[in-house]
Order: sequence, then C-alpha cells, then structure tokens
Amino acid sequence: MLQSKNLWKIFSYFVMILFSILTIGPLLWLLYSSFKPHAAIVRSPLAFPSGFYVENYIRSWRLGKLGIYFLNSIIYATVPTIITVFFAMSSGYAFSKFHFRSSHVLYGIYLTGLLVTVHSVIVPLFILETRIGIDNTRLGVIIPYIAFALPFQIFLSTSYIKGIPDSLEEAALIDGASYLAIFMKIIIPVATPIIATMTIFTFLSNWNEFILVLTLTSRVAIRSLPVGINSFAGGMSRDYGLQFAALVVGTAPMIVFYLFFHEQLAKGFSAGVSKE
Amino acid sequence: MNQKKTKIISYWILAGPPLILFLSVILFPILFSLIISLSNWSGSGSLQWVGLKNYIEIIHDRIFFHGLRNNLLIVAISVLGQIPLGFVLAYILYRKIVQREKFFETMIFLPITISPVVIAILWNQIFSTSGLYTSIIRKISNNPRYVVSIFENQSLAIIPILFVILWMYTGMYMVMYLANLQKISPSILEAAEIDGASESQILLHIIFPFMQGVIMTTTIFAITGSLKSFDLIYAMTGGGPAHFTEVIAIYMYTNTFKYYKYGFGSAVSIIIVLLSVGLIFLLQILSRRLDRKYS
Repeated sequence: MLQSKNLWKIFSYFVMILFSILTIGPLLWLLYSSFKPHAAIVRSPLAFPSGFYVENYIRSWRLGKLGIYFLNSIIYATVPTIITVFFAMSSGYAFSKFHFRSSHVLYGIYLTGLLVTVHSVIVPLFILETRIGIDNTRLGVIIPYIAFALPFQIFLSTSYIKGIPDSLEEAALIDGASYLAIFMKIIIPVATPIIATMTIFTFLSNWNEFILVLTLTSRVAIRSLPVGINSFAGGMSRDYGLQFAALVVGTAPMIVFYLFFHEQLAKGFSAGVSKE
Repeated sequence: MNQKKTKIISYWILAGPPLILFLSVILFPILFSLIISLSNWSGSGSLQWVGLKNYIEIIHDRIFFHGLRNNLLIVAISVLGQIPLGFVLAYILYRKIVQREKFFETMIFLPITISPVVIAILWNQIFSTSGLYTSIIRKISNNPRYVVSIFENQSLAIIPILFVILWMYTGMYMVMYLANLQKISPSILEAAEIDGASESQILLHIIFPFMQGVIMTTTIFAITGSLKSFDLIYAMTGGGPAHFTEVIAIYMYTNTFKYYKYGFGSAVSIIIVLLSVGLIFLLQILSRRLDRKYS
C-alpha cells in the first residue's frame, strides 16, 4: 500500500521534473546565447556569454525588419480579435435566445466549420482575394482570421449565453428595450468572463498564426512576426546570434502575456471540451 | 405581428454579418476547391477539365504516401502519446501527488503559447552541430565529433519532430483534463478512500468513466490537429531532406505555391479533409463498440 504510493510519487516527480527541464533548458539556452556573437556560439555552444553583447538585438531588429513585423503582429492580433469576439457574441445571442428554427441549422454549420482546416481552402481563398484585389493587404489577412476563429468562439459564446437566465431578458423586453439594446446592455456585461477568455484565446492564436500570412501576403510591409522570424531560418542569415535574438523577440512577448493571463488562457483551452 | 418582425430583423442584424463573412471565406472556397481539383489549372489562363486525373496521380506518388505515413505517425503520437500523458500529468496535479503543482503546470503548458515557427527554429538549433543537445551528448559520450544524423534516415527523420510535437502539445491536453477533473465532487473521492480503495481503483472506477466524454472530444481535436500540422515542420525542415519529413499539408503547399499546380494542390486539400472526416468517423464507431462492451 505504502510502497505503491511511493512509486507513484517517484514517477510523478520524474515526469514533472523532466518536462520542466525540457521547457526551461531550451529557453534559458536561447536567452543567454542571444547575447553571444556568432563565433562564440559556434565555438562553445554551452558556455555562458562573457558580457552582454546586445549587438545581435540591434542588428536583427534592423536587418530583419522586426519593427514592421512586430507592428503588423499587433494589428493582426488585436483588430480581428475584437471583431471575432463581437461577432461570436452577437451570433451566440441570436442562436441561444431567439429560438428560431434556422438558429439550429446555422449553429450546425459553424460546428462543421470546426473541421475545416486552413489548408483545404487556402488555394481558392488566395485566388478569391486576388480577384477581388485584397490580396497583399492587411484586410486580406484580417478577414480570414475572423472567419477561421468564428466556429470555436461561437461554440463558446452560445453555450455560455444559454446559461444566462431568460428572466433578465424578458424583464427588459417588458420595459420596452430593443433586442440590440438587450445585447449591448445585458448580455455583454453579464458575459464578461467568457469574453475575457475568448479574447485572450483568439489573441494568442492570431499572434502565432503563420500559414495564412505566409500564403496571402508577399510584401514585407504587411507580414507578421512569425513569418519575419522564419526568414532567419533560411538563407537570409547564417548568423546564429542574429537568429537567436530574433527568436527571443518572438518568444518574450508571449511568455509575458502567458504569465499575465495564465488562468484565463487555461480556461479557454478547457472551456471547449467541458462536460455539462 | 410588428413585435415578431422586429425580432426577425434583430436576429439577422446579430447573426447575419458574421455568417456572410464565414460562408464567403470558408464554405464558398471549399466548393471552389472541389471544382479546381478536377482541373489542371495553373493559376492563370482557363480551366481545363481533367476529371479524376489529379487524384489518380496523387495515389501513385510515393512522396505522397511517405507524407501520409508521417501524418499517421503524428496522429499516433498525438492520440497514443499526448492524450494518455496529458491525462497522467493532469491526474498527478489533480491528486496533488507532487508539491509546487502550479509551477509544474506552468512549465508543461508554456510551450503552447510560443509560436510554432519559433519552436521549430529553436529545436532545429538545439539539434544542430553547435546546438544544446549535440553539445551535451558530446560532453557525456566524450565524443567531440558526435552529430545528430537521424534526419538523414528516410524512415527515422520524423522522430525528432514527433518528439517536439509531443513536448509542445501535451500541456494543452493536460489543462483540458485538469479543468474537468476539478469538476468531480471531492466527497466521492473521500468516500472511496475511506472505503479503502487504492489509487488505481479510484482511477479506474471513478475518474476514468467520468472523463470518457472529454477524452473522446480531445481525441477528435488531436486527429484533426495532426492532419493540419504544417507550421512546425515547414519551419523546422520544410519537409526535407529529400521529402523525408514531408507531411501532406507541406506536399499540398509545395505543389500549389512552388510548382503552381493549383488543381493538383486542391485535390490534395480535398484528400486532407476526407481523411480527417474518415478518421473521426472511424473513431466514433470504435467508441460506440467500446461503450457497448462496458455496459
């Protein structure tokens, strides 16, 4: 009895520590190596830097045009996120409180949309955007970001709004409030917790998105950080110092973001599979 | 009557705009994709119908099958690796078998928040000749010439990628399971403990049945996610060397955007969709069988 409990404990600590090492080790190595010049990284990969060599950061920021990419990433992570969450809330309200026959059908269409991968539509989407003339524009990135985030976010919002008691809405209707007023003044304030979760979750996935920006854009001025960093992997730079600095620039914001919103983010990941 | 009319109008104001956007970006292109896949369009000029020629060409291509094999290995590592491991990790945290559980939870979940492209380049560096892994092995084995050669082996090249995938996404499942485990009423577990149930009995008879639905949903996530895997591999190896680490999504991307075989690429896309629908269907049949066995 006691023996098996101890075995569990030993096993548990073993996997937990192993995972922690696998996470901390690479990130720590990346961070301190980014302060070493290329030659020092190649010569002794494990050694700590002899000083703070910040040249890597200055050069990779300038050469890699990371400033532009960073700005674009901020745009792509915020603008579509705000629109997605608003759309998901309005759809969720329509589907859960109006009880129309069409709401089941439409909700079903969105749920099927969960299965559609970016890859299966990227070719026609690219052609479509070229035809309308929004290829290689920020708008051409923002619209698909919203569309691909909608199914999951509508799934979250609909189940949450369903849980809001009907009596709140009915009282307001009797007082003569319009449906849109109810949406803005009752549903949205009451749903703040799920809105927070949805926002953080969408922000994160938009920030890390890669294939849409890669295929739908070719102009540096509108590309995002992951695509910018990817160019450090190829022929553009064989300078490891520059590459490491670029990787730190790409990683640090999300780690800070994670430390701030850890709880909400975990909620977002688990909300979708919750058993009622 | 008037009341009803305002209700309908309000409904469409709320649900209409997102729907139009969604249908035009997803539904319309999917139908379009089906049509292009039956042609040999090269991105410009007129469509020329070739029927199922693209599909036939794909199933005769050895590169496609190597990609499919790699995809299925990713599905396997996700379903048989990430899901059980994620469950075990969540269980350890839930039962508070280790101390400092918040710290461990953070460490396991953290990789999820980092962009797959960054992760790919980072691990590529770790395995490179002046990388962290290579240097440590050189020190331990006292062999200063050690290099990672696994990428040059056609059938094994995918293994380091499988490892990174396992490390990167297990935390996601762990968090999902943990949130659901926390919904189990503690009094049930206390009662079982008082009755003298062992750790494995509690796990098998209380926790496992409770979590069955959640495990099913995450398995579907794992399958669709695995077939989509693109970013990480594209940035890590680009499918190379010599297509050794190719997956279907990369095969699609190369054919479409490098060789301008739009029709061929669309056919590959359709196959990806069919595969994920097929696998999910298979899974549902299996779980129904399993259900019947239990009851």
